Parts: sequence; C-alpha cells; structure tokens
Amino acid sequence: MTEQSEGKADDGERRGSSAESWLFAEARNIRLLLLSIVSLAAGIGLLVVFQAHLLAAACQRIIMQGEGLSAALPLAALLVVLAAGRSLCSYLLENRSAAAAARVKQSVRSRLYRKIQALGPAGLAGEEAGPLVETVTRGVDELEPYFTRFLPQLSLAALLPFMFLIFVVPAEWRSGLVLLFSAPFIPLFMILIGRGSESLHRRQWNRLSRMAGHLLDLVQGLPDLIVFGAAKTEAQTVARVSEEYRSATMAVLRVAFLSAFTLEFFATVGTAVVAVIVGFRLLSGVLTLQEGLFVLLMAPEFYLPLRNLGLSYHARMQGVAAAERIAPLLAQPLPEGFAGSLMPPTGPPAVLFEAVSFRYGSNRGGVAGVDLELQSGRITALAGESGAGKSTLARLLVGLARPESGRILINGQDLASFQPDAWRALIAWVPQTPFFTSGTLRENLLLGRPDAVDAQITAALEAAAASFVNDLPDGLDTVLGERGAGLSGGELKRLALARAYLRQATLVVLDEPTAGLDPENERLVCLALERLAVGRTVLIISHREETLLQAHCVAEMIDGRIERVVPSAEYLAPLGAA
Amino acid sequence: MNWLIRFLKISRNQWPWMGAGILLGVVVVAANAMLMAVSGWFIASMAVSGSSGVAFNYFFPSAGIRFLAIVRSVGRYGERLVTHEATFRNLSELRVWLFRRFIPLSPACLERYAGGDVAGRLRADVDSLESLYLRIIAPIAVGGVSIVSALLFLLWISPPSAAVMFLFLTMAGVALPWLVHRLSEEPGRVATSLSAQLRSKVTEGVQGVEELILLGAVERQAAVVDHLSEAVISKQLSLGRINGLSLAGSVLFAGCGVAAVLLTGSMQVVAHQTAAPNLVLLLLFSAATFEAAGLLPAALHLLPAARESATRIFDLADAPIPVPDTPVSLVRPAGGRICFTDVSASYLPGEPVLRNVSLIIPEGGRAVLTGSSGVGKSLLLEILLRFRTYEGSVTVGGIEISTLPKEILMDMIAVVPQRPHLFNGTIRDNILLGNRAASEDQLQQALRDSCLDLWVAGLPLGLDTAVGVNGSAVSGGEARRIALARALLKDAAILLLDEPTEGLDGETERRLVSNLAARFGGDETTTLLVVSHRPACLALGDSIVHLSSSKEPLRDI
Repeated sequence: MTEQSEGKADDGERRGSSAESWLFAEARNIRLLLLSIVSLAAGIGLLVVFQAHLLAAACQRIIMQGEGLSAALPLAALLVVLAAGRSLCSYLLENRSAAAAARVKQSVRSRLYRKIQALGPAGLAGEEAGPLVETVTRGVDELEPYFTRFLPQLSLAALLPFMFLIFVVPAEWRSGLVLLFSAPFIPLFMILIGRGSESLHRRQWNRLSRMAGHLLDLVQGLPDLIVFGAAKTEAQTVARVSEEYRSATMAVLRVAFLSAFTLEFFATVGTAVVAVIVGFRLLSGVLTLQEGLFVLLMAPEFYLPLRNLGLSYHARMQGVAAAERIAPLLAQPLPEGFAGSLMPPTGPPAVLFEAVSFRYGSNRGGVAGVDLELQSGRITALAGESGAGKSTLARLLVGLARPESGRILINGQDLASFQPDAWRALIAWVPQTPFFTSGTLRENLLLGRPDAVDAQITAALEAAAASFVNDLPDGLDTVLGERGAGLSGGELKRLALARAYLRQATLVVLDEPTAGLDPENERLVCLALERLAVGRTVLIISHREETLLQAHCVAEMIDGRIERVVPSAEYLAPLGAA
Repeated sequence: MNWLIRFLKISRNQWPWMGAGILLGVVVVAANAMLMAVSGWFIASMAVSGSSGVAFNYFFPSAGIRFLAIVRSVGRYGERLVTHEATFRNLSELRVWLFRRFIPLSPACLERYAGGDVAGRLRADVDSLESLYLRIIAPIAVGGVSIVSALLFLLWISPPSAAVMFLFLTMAGVALPWLVHRLSEEPGRVATSLSAQLRSKVTEGVQGVEELILLGAVERQAAVVDHLSEAVISKQLSLGRINGLSLAGSVLFAGCGVAAVLLTGSMQVVAHQTAAPNLVLLLLFSAATFEAAGLLPAALHLLPAARESATRIFDLADAPIPVPDTPVSLVRPAGGRICFTDVSASYLPGEPVLRNVSLIIPEGGRAVLTGSSGVGKSLLLEILLRFRTYEGSVTVGGIEISTLPKEILMDMIAVVPQRPHLFNGTIRDNILLGNRAASEDQLQQALRDSCLDLWVAGLPLGLDTAVGVNGSAVSGGEARRIALARALLKDAAILLLDEPTEGLDGETERRLVSNLAARFGGDETTTLLVVSHRPACLALGDSIVHLSSSKEPLRDI
C-alpha cells in the first residue's frame, strides 16, 4: 500500500514537471507583457532604493548635522513624489498583470473548448463531463496567478536582490556579504522542505478531499439516512471525520509551513545581523549614519523578493494543478476521422455493415464482426441488453466513430469516402438524452437548420406530435432552462423529433426514443416516429414492444454481435406469450 | 452583524484557539515593527555616540534586536499553526451544528435552498463559513489591534506623529477598502453571473458534442463560448484594474504617511521634545505599521460575500421545520396496513398535486401505483415517510402517522426513492446502511434479489469497490439496485419502491421483477407499494392502482 502511494507521488511529480513546461511554453506567448511586468517591478525596486536613500539622507542631516525643518521639508516633498511614482508603477503593473492573465485565459479556454469538441466522446474515453467543464471554466481561471504572480516573482527573485546589492556593497561591503551569503540558503531550504510537503500533500490529497466533501455527501443523502434511521448516529460520524480531517491536514501543514518559516528566519536574522554590524561600524565612526541607515533599510528589501516568491508558491501549485488537467487534453491526438471527397446520395440510403468491429479499449459496449443491412426507406430496430453494442453501432453509422476493421457501405460505397460534413447533413440523430441549449424553443429547433421559417417549424412540430408548444404562453419563444428544464421528458423527446423532422434528413437514427416515458407519451412519440419514417431510412434502438412493433425487422444484439435479424412480429411473438 | 455574533456563538468552544491565533498575529506584527524601529534607533544612537563620544549601552538593544528577530520568525510559524488549528476546530463544530440543524429540514426545506443548485451553493456557503475566521476575522482583528496599539505607542513617543499617522492609516485601512468595495461591486456581480452562463454553455457543449457535430452547430456553440469567455475575462480585467488602484492607493498613503512623520519627527527633534535617534525609530516604525494596515483591504474585500453566505446558511438553519416530529407515543402500529383517506397534498403551497386521494393496502398486500409523470405518485410515498405535510388521514397499522414519532415510523419502512443517494464509500458501506447488523447471508441474499451478485462478483474489489462521489463510479441502474439491496436488507414491515427498474435493460428488469415477486409472493407480513409506469413492474402487485391527474379519486384496475 505504501509502495503504491509512493509510486503515485512520483507519478504526480512527473506530471507536474511536464505541466510546468507547458506553462512555460504558454508564457512565451505573452513574453512582451511579462517583460513589461518585470521591468515595472524592477522600476519599483529602483524607486525603493531612492526612497531608502532619501530617508537615510534626511536622518543624517537632521540627527547628525542638526539641520531643521528647512532641510526636512524638501526631502519630505521628494518622498511624496517618489511614493506617487511607486504608486503609479504599481497600478500599471497590476494592469499589465491583469492584461497578461486575460490574454492567456482567453487563448487557452478557446483552444481547450475547441479541442474537447474536436476530440468528442470517442477521444475523451472515460472523461466525465463535470470535471471537463470544471477544467474549461474554473481550471483556466486558476492559471492566472501562475502567470501574474509566480512567473514575475521568479524573475524578480533572481533580479532584484542583485540590483540591491549593487547599491549596498559600496556603502557597506560587510553587510553586503552577509546578505549575499544568507540568500542562497533560503531557496535551498525552501526547496528541500517544499518537496517534502509536496509529496506528503499529494499522498494525502485524495483522502483529504474526500473528508472535505463528507458533510455535503451526508446532507445530500439526508433523506436516505433518515429513512434508515442513521441520521442521528451520522452526526457523530461528522464530528469524527472532521476531527480526522483536522489532524491529517495539520500534519501536512506543520511541514508545509516549515518552508515559510525557514525563509522568514533567514530574512529576519539576516536583517538583525546587518543592524548589529552596521551599529558597531557606526560606533567606531568609520561609517556615516546615512550609509548605515541606507544599508539597514535595504536589508529587508533584499529579502522581500525571495519572501514574495515563497508566498507565490501556492500560486504555482494552483497553476501547475490546473495545467496538469489542461496540458494533456490539449496534447491529445485527434481521433482519426474520415476525410473523403465524394458527395453522398440524395435519396434514402441503403446501408450495409460488413464485418464491422470497434472496441475502443474497453470490452464493454464494443461491436465485433457485425454484418447488417438497413434497407433503403425502411425502419430497422436494434434490440438487446444494455452494453451489447447497440449505441456503438449507431455512432459508427452516423460517423462519430470509425470502425477499427470492416466497412460500412452506403449504396455500395464506403462511408469513409464521403465528405464528412455532407454526410452529416443527411443525418438526423436523436440520442437517449437529446441536447437542448438554454435558450428559446425556436433556437433549439433551428440548431440543425438555421434557415427554416416558422411555417416549416410549425409543420415539424405537428408531425412530431409536439403541438403543445402552441399552447405555451410564449409559444416558440418560451425559454428553456438548462438541459431542457421546464418541460417533461416526453415533451422534450417530441421536440427532439421535431428538430430531426425539420432537418430533412434521409437517414434517421433514434436511440431509445421511448425510454422512461409513460404510455401516453410513448403513444405520442410512436405516432411522431411513424410520420418521421416516411421516405427515410431509419434505425431505432429500443427494447420497448410498442416501438419495436413499428419496425420492419428487428436485429437482436448480444455481446457486440448480431444474434439474429427477424421480422418484428416474429421477434415480439415469444415475448407476448411470456 | 447578527450573523457574526451567531458564528462566534457556535464556535464559542474554540475561542481560546481563536484568541491565541489573533494574539500571536499581533505579537508577530509588533515584533516586525519593533525589529525595524529598534534597529534604526540602535544604529542612530550608535552613530550619535560614535561622533559625540558619549558612551552608549549597546548590549541591551543588540540583544533585543536578536530576540525580536527570533520572536518574529518563530511567532509567525506559531501563528499560522494556531490560526489553522482554530479554523479546523471551528470546522468540526460548525459541521456538527449544521448537520443536526439540517436533519429535521430534509428534504422539503433543503431542496428549495438557493434556487435548486443545492449541492454547489451549499458547498460554497459552507466553505465560506469555514474559512471565515482564517480569511476575515483573524486578519481584521490582528490588523485592527495592531493599528490601535501602534497609534498608542506613537502617541507615547510623539503625539503629532500619532495624529498624522491616524489620518493616513484611516485612509489606507478604511477609506480605500471602502472605495474599492464600491467600485468592484458591479463588475463582481456581472462577472459572477456571466461565469454561470459560461459554465452552462460549456456544459452543453461538452455533454452535447456528438449532437452538435451532427447538427453542424459545433462552431456556432464555440463562438458563443468564446464570446461569453471574453465577456467574463473583460470583467475580471476591470476587477484587476480596481485591485491595482487599491494597491497604488496604499503605496501612496504609506509614502505620504512616512513623509508626514519625517516632518513631525523633525519638528520635535528640532524643538528638543524628543531625542534625535527617535526620529529613525518613528520613521521605521510608521513604515512597518502600514504593512499591518495592508492586512485589512483583502479581508474587508471578502466580507460582503461571507456575510451573504452566512446569512443564507443561518436563514436556512432557522427555517421552520416543515414536518414537525411527534415527541413520544405509547402506541405502536400493529402491522403494515396502509390507509390513505381523502388525502390532499402539494409540493408548493397553492399548487395542489394530490386531491382527496383514498387508498387502502392491507397488511401483506402488494400494490403497484401507476399514472403519468407529475400526478403525485412520488408525493404519496413522501407523505408516508413524513417528508411532506398532508390534509386528510394517513394511517399505518391503524395509527395516524402524524401522531407517531418519526423514529418509530421509520423503523417500519424501507424505501428506494426516485433518486437514491449513494454515499462516498464502498458498495458494502452503502448496502449495510440498511441494516448494520446484517449477517453475510442476509447480505448475499439481498445482492442476489437485486440482481447485483454477478456484477459484484465481476468487480476486482467486489463489495469493497468505491462508488465515488454521488455514485459517480457506478451507472444509474447499478446505483438503483444498490439502493434496492439496501432497502431489502432492512427487512421492514413496509417496502416502498419508486421506479425500481428505471435505467435497467429489459433482461435485467425481467430478472429483477421475478426475484422480487418470488421474495414477496408468499410473504404475508411485508406490505409492498411500488410506483412504476413500466409494464414489467405490474407483475409485482396483487392490485394495480392508477393515479390520474384529474380530480377523480383512485381506481383499482
């Protein structure tokens, strides 16, 4: 078990480093913006040097030379001017950072979304929709701090301390040496401790996130807990899991905070040592107060970029975590599509599957050596248990996936030789859960045929037994909620059929058009099916009797093979008897 | 402010931790400011001593500097540990408190929470409440206490400097955050709503990609996504600019503050009201105090959202209990006879779903309830579970259920709801929820009856396979059958099944129905009520009841 999780941690580190190289590559696209960010920050650094210099000079003149307000006033005015300059630079810097973030996010999101669309479910085997959506939306947002905080801080940590040393060493080289030699320890210790906590964190991650979501899990399942009389006892589980969550997280944090501690410790002690050295040099009279104070003021500034880098560690982790999801998606090769140039036939096509196999990695839901004929202008039904490969066969037919072996002939010609867009234009496909966009009914109906006029829409609605739309207060302008919320399952099915009707396709593929419907809705949908089938080649996946009755023949699938093809009456006969 | 007091009351057991965290925070800020101030004063005194030849006891200050350095770094580590400890201890208290509050509210009240997206909203609100101390209370307290103590310290050393610092600290710590809050309110709100739209369009695109390809609408959807993304990002850009403004403001005020202290300090030095080296102390101390003020804007920025989340949660927790429990009852129902007489009920007030429904299922009877979706089949089950209030009379074993304590009623009923919840654990955990004391034989029997045995046997980890968050690692049909096994294991007097075969293929459906028919066929004590519109399920009943949406009462077919 330990070895296994060790292995996982190593694996995590490898993924992290490739994600980081992707982030660097993305940074190249905004290098000018990043350059302006770093220059502005360096400019601010210079202003800090001047400010320290001014303060030191003011103290020298007032304390050591006994000058009065006349000396302080112009210096104070200069300080205000410097502060205004720093303030302006800070504003510009934040501005540039925000612009850089915007550029990266827009470009990555646009590419990522299109890539996911291009990959399609076939290319994304096993990926669930929820996490994908999360990656495209919040995941892309989480890249921001990497580019706006971590990368600039990284270059500043390399640049600013040396810039400050150039000013410090001429004033007091001993203090300069203290700073110079204490500095390398900081990143060294940080890296050592940071690595330790990172792998600890990775190993605990799953467990921690599960405990973090524990309360929500129980609240969502409260009705079930109540029914099984477990609600009261689960309150104790909440307390116990929260306690475990606390001690596990604190164990990680105790180590994780050590790296920040190292940094603070070196920075603070370094500053204190400089103060003491400077003090004794002043006492012996070899240094002026101006020089000494300047060096003291610069000491914390010297460590500040390193401390900021330490603080941006979280920004880096967040960015890398997001990149670990995004980069592999963007790098995935596109599935091989078909790219022929032939124009498909205009009439209802005759389809012939010849020894078609498709397994997409898993052994569930694939098809093997399928031979099947769909007669032109007729309804063929596919029946069989779930996981028998019915949906896969349908997706191969419409061209969403390509057979691994065998071919699909359309009027005697290989499907792969057709021009893909032209082929798709001939197809109306109604999957198990039809797609609806949040928008008006009209927008949804027009998805497949943007140029249809209202008369055509009305005709399609009528054919699909979906005239209920006319009874809605807003008719076609009724706004559908997300995923079609607001209409019943049966109504949505009929709308999907209307959309298929409107598309004027010659090949219609329906996946479980009547599943989950009550008898009344099933009757209406079957009625719509009958009208839709006229003059078209139709493939229906179903195991509902009422629906199978309409087919000319039923092909039964078992374990990815066609078991038998029989007239629908013959298929249904034994069922009726049983 | 009520919500804050409420929060503090719930977390009263953790006040020592919370207080210690704040105290350590103040110590760190003070050590940081004093480190610079004492160092500055020390070198100025050394310089004065070096040039004037007047002896200066450097032993104490140089030891003090080292001491402050250690206090600051060790204190910072301790502060982070203690504040996080306090946060996680609070989290425990809060979660238990919330959970106990939620029990009587479920499900009628919870499902109305925040307009439907219960899980997402609740997660965000609870998260926000859980980090309230760490992100908001502690920084504001530390910043506030530090600023006040710093001003008092300055007042002691140099009253005029304290006066100008008060002015600039107020600008940087109060006026500026307020301005930033006002400016970012509008773009923040728009960005949130645009983000939600973006999310919904991306979800559509990801889930509907195949259909979009076949409809030739992929590029159109992508353009919509691009457009929304651009709109969101442009709002985020304005928020970034406002953030820049805030940063620029605090830099400017800090600079002005230090310049002002230079003047007031010099005046006092010139007038011999204070020792000359104190000028350095004043300057460096003031500069460090502005760092403490820098804690405030970020925390204040989070305050409005936290207030909204907390108010929402407390409002929910205070909601009237939809179906109040009955404290005690001396009578227990005799058997599982169910009798609805003239029952009317609704999900929302004013939208009646069930009207004057009457139905009797004798003890050991098996009824299948059919009817089109939306006529209230599931509502009838929820009434029986006392999740909803009703008018009319509902008795179990001859006793009105509203006079029965829920615990006694629940002892008698097992259920597979329309959307069963699988808890994030193993298949075994989820099934044993039905009866923790079940024997291995009972468990295997429940698995066989719910057609899970073959599937489980094929899993590498068998019953110890994790089902994932919300059952995401199993299919809908599998989840339903796990819930069925759970209900069968309870072996209750009444079994309620809401669409038990939904999501199953025909063959599995047939097997499941015949298993259940065999299990309950000769059973004269278990009362079975099945809601389904699948023809196959009709075989489960000895009577079939059709519920129609009109006002006509139930009829037996």
